[in-house]
Amino acid sequence: MKFVLTRFAAFLLLGSLGCHAGPPAPPSTTPPGMLPTAASNSKPRPDSATGTRTAGTSAAPTATAQRTRDENQAIVIHDGKENWIDAEAAARSGYTIIDFSDDWTPFIFTTQKGPDGTDLPNRYRRVFIGLANDTLDEDGEPLPAGEKNYLELYGIPPSFGVLRQRFLANRQQTCHASISQEKLEEVETIAYVAPDKLKAADRKTERLGRELESARAKSKAASLAELAQKNPSLAAKVKTYERRVAEKAAMTEVEKRLACEGMFKKRERHRTGVYDDAMRLAVRRFQQKNMIYESNYLRSKTMDALARPPLANDYLAFMRVLRERVVDAAGVVEDGTVDGKSGSPTYTGESGKPVQVRNLVDELTKSAAEQLGLDTQEGALDFLKRHKAADFKHMRVAVPLPALPEYYGPNMDLSIVIDRGDVWYDLPWDANGVRHPQPRRHYPSFRLYLKYNGQRTLLARWRTTIGGWRAEQASDGYEYFRYKGSDVGSRVIRNVVAGPVWIAPESTPIRSLLKMKDVRGSWQRVVNYDELGPGYLSAYGLVAGYFVQPGRNGRPDWDNGIRAHGSSNYLSIYSSEGYSHGCHRLPNHLAIRLYSFILRHRPMRVLGDQGMGFARQFLAKDDVYEIRLPSRGYSYELDPPLPVEVLQGDIKGTLKTPVMTYVQKPGTVYPGPPPPVHASDDGKAGGSPSGKSESEE
Amino acid sequence: MTTSLHRETKASWRRSGYLLAIATALAVLLSVGVSAAGKGKKASDQAKQAESASEPDAASAAKPDTVRIIIQTVPPRRARVKWGRKSLGVIPTPSPLVVVRPRDSGPLDLVIRAAGFLPVHTRAYTFTDSRVAVKLTSLSDKSKLFGYREEPAPSPDGGVPAEPATTP
Repeated sequence: MKFVLTRFAAFLLLGSLGCHAGPPAPPSTTPPGMLPTAASNSKPRPDSATGTRTAGTSAAPTATAQRTRDENQAIVIHDGKENWIDAEAAARSGYTIIDFSDDWTPFIFTTQKGPDGTDLPNRYRRVFIGLANDTLDEDGEPLPAGEKNYLELYGIPPSFGVLRQRFLANRQQTCHASISQEKLEEVETIAYVAPDKLKAADRKTERLGRELESARAKSKAASLAELAQKNPSLAAKVKTYERRVAEKAAMTEVEKRLACEGMFKKRERHRTGVYDDAMRLAVRRFQQKNMIYESNYLRSKTMDALARPPLANDYLAFMRVLRERVVDAAGVVEDGTVDGKSGSPTYTGESGKPVQVRNLVDELTKSAAEQLGLDTQEGALDFLKRHKAADFKHMRVAVPLPALPEYYGPNMDLSIVIDRGDVWYDLPWDANGVRHPQPRRHYPSFRLYLKYNGQRTLLARWRTTIGGWRAEQASDGYEYFRYKGSDVGSRVIRNVVAGPVWIAPESTPIRSLLKMKDVRGSWQRVVNYDELGPGYLSAYGLVAGYFVQPGRNGRPDWDNGIRAHGSSNYLSIYSSEGYSHGCHRLPNHLAIRLYSFILRHRPMRVLGDQGMGFARQFLAKDDVYEIRLPSRGYSYELDPPLPVEVLQGDIKGTLKTPVMTYVQKPGTVYPGPPPPVHASDDGKAGGSPSGKSESEE
Repeated sequence: MTTSLHRETKASWRRSGYLLAIATALAVLLSVGVSAAGKGKKASDQAKQAESASEPDAASAAKPDTVRIIIQTVPPRRARVKWGRKSLGVIPTPSPLVVVRPRDSGPLDLVIRAAGFLPVHTRAYTFTDSRVAVKLTSLSDKSKLFGYREEPAPSPDGGVPAEPATTP
């Protein structure tokens, strides 16, 4: 690990000395007072009273006579008609250019320029685009014909080209007509019944049905509802029976719906009426397609989406995709997550009056949708119908978005505060392996602050993770539990890595480093590069900010392996029992928004691809597996670094400090006592400052 | 998927120069040996230099449509290289096996088998020209690999799990 640390430090040093790319390009939405002085008379003007530019009064830049649709042009809607105009001229006129092309990636994955003007490509950009367009798989290999990725839930929204296909296909499909929306809407959820208990559960329902029917006949009630009224002692049974019957009926419709949408795969055999693995996988695909953060069961959000017509779901997906494109084009992050019971927080503006923090994500998306005629399902469908698939190769649109708040600029005084919430250091199980609940009322939160006009204002607040008890492989080859906490105190983020690679420390359980994969027709075990990255499934997600304590007196930064990064493991973020290995996780799409925003509103250098020649071997049964990593990811350096403060939170339970040794897993036979914790890993747990490792989450 | 492969003959390898062979061997010995063992700074710096010398700059201006992947083993042995079911050929020791692939066409998950050694699963990339130098481990040295674990001795208590040693 020391070898890797030395190399990475050398790369960073090299980059800081030689790769100064200057400040990032400012967002195309310009704040009031910063509008370019365009020669055109058709420039939209800021409304001094409201601080916004009013779309309706803006005259569009002159449309070109010839409708040449190349990458230098953008669509503008004027008087309800589409015109193609020069994109640069539109941007100079204060229009925001929104990239609708199929080659879009978020800012962090775009090809940046080096100090000498050369392109600095990101290795992952091609894969991101391929995944968004259903042409590549997670390794960057061609996706089999007809396969879909459905990765929006993991931070990779589908391209507009893919959405266009989805809309047009669903408009013509007929199988949806046979699905009873009524039966789907009748239940809020469908309770999970394990496949091996289904017959018993069915028999129980039948028995209950006979019992109630007999009671109904005896009491001469017209229906079970009337029986429940006449005999309140049977009300609970009636309710249970009716719910189970409704759930069974809804389950049939769910199966039809999932089949209609092609969610079942041929190789996964599903038994009708059974919530088997094939069903679970189909539900997961449906959740991924519709960006539903729920476990893979038929819970409320999933059921709501199943009850909606396919085109309605497609339109919601369209709006989500539009939102990410607008957010990226405008360079905003404020998403309304700071709103409390008394509304959104305020700051004192230049006028001396209080101004509320706006939900720019929703506001700008809504504005763009309205101006482009995309604010209804029909409007979106019309838009996708009248443009050919080829149009989306280079499509960009120009819209006059509402002006950004006055605090926007290229050097915003941003900072991050992470509140660890309720923290438990106690073991979550006893000597017999019985788990003990460790309830939390306050969950960890990630907050982005802005200092403006001498005030600290909250811009965004998201749920995140802290570390907890995790399995770790010790030097004797056995797995133990170890408390892997999140450091407390002041840190900075100096480097942000897009498409980061996680170098699994030797303490990573080997079972998690392997996976089965179809390699050109051969089903074989390979190193699990999904976990290592770069990729949406990587331990570091699609982007990571590296926490360090700044070095002083010529000493290098101290890196204890803690990051704030994207993650596809959304349940670890949102579930009550979710923990990380010490890092602070965010859903990938939020991490992308966060770091794109920071990089565009803070001075930074583009260091580019951090090549390395890392290789490490390990044994699994009788085969040797070699982890081979050619790059550390694509790095940006914040200068000055971004301040981070991690609050201790509220320590619950008996132990007030974390356990620093390995703990044997209940039920596992070990050859001897646990070995000492690896010296280089000391610093990882619970904020001990003794370690100095490059160990990762 | 189209595959364009060719093995360099001994003669063409000679023509391409012994210098490359020496640089390759140095890079192999240093990078694999050092990174696997996690040894000193000086050696790692040398390895870095050797690797950076052997890997073209990712941002180089004119890039061909294909990349060359040079595959060899340490110690040099005749070894079969397979990519899924497809055999890419045998490393013609002392020359390496050279694989030409379309640039940026995704990684290759390879299995390298040599008589008397444990099979090695590794990966080659197509983002740029690269060298895959695979350290081979003899069957008798299996216990020296990370991940090897000694099985516990038969338990006198019939396998009843021990209580956790550390219960604070």
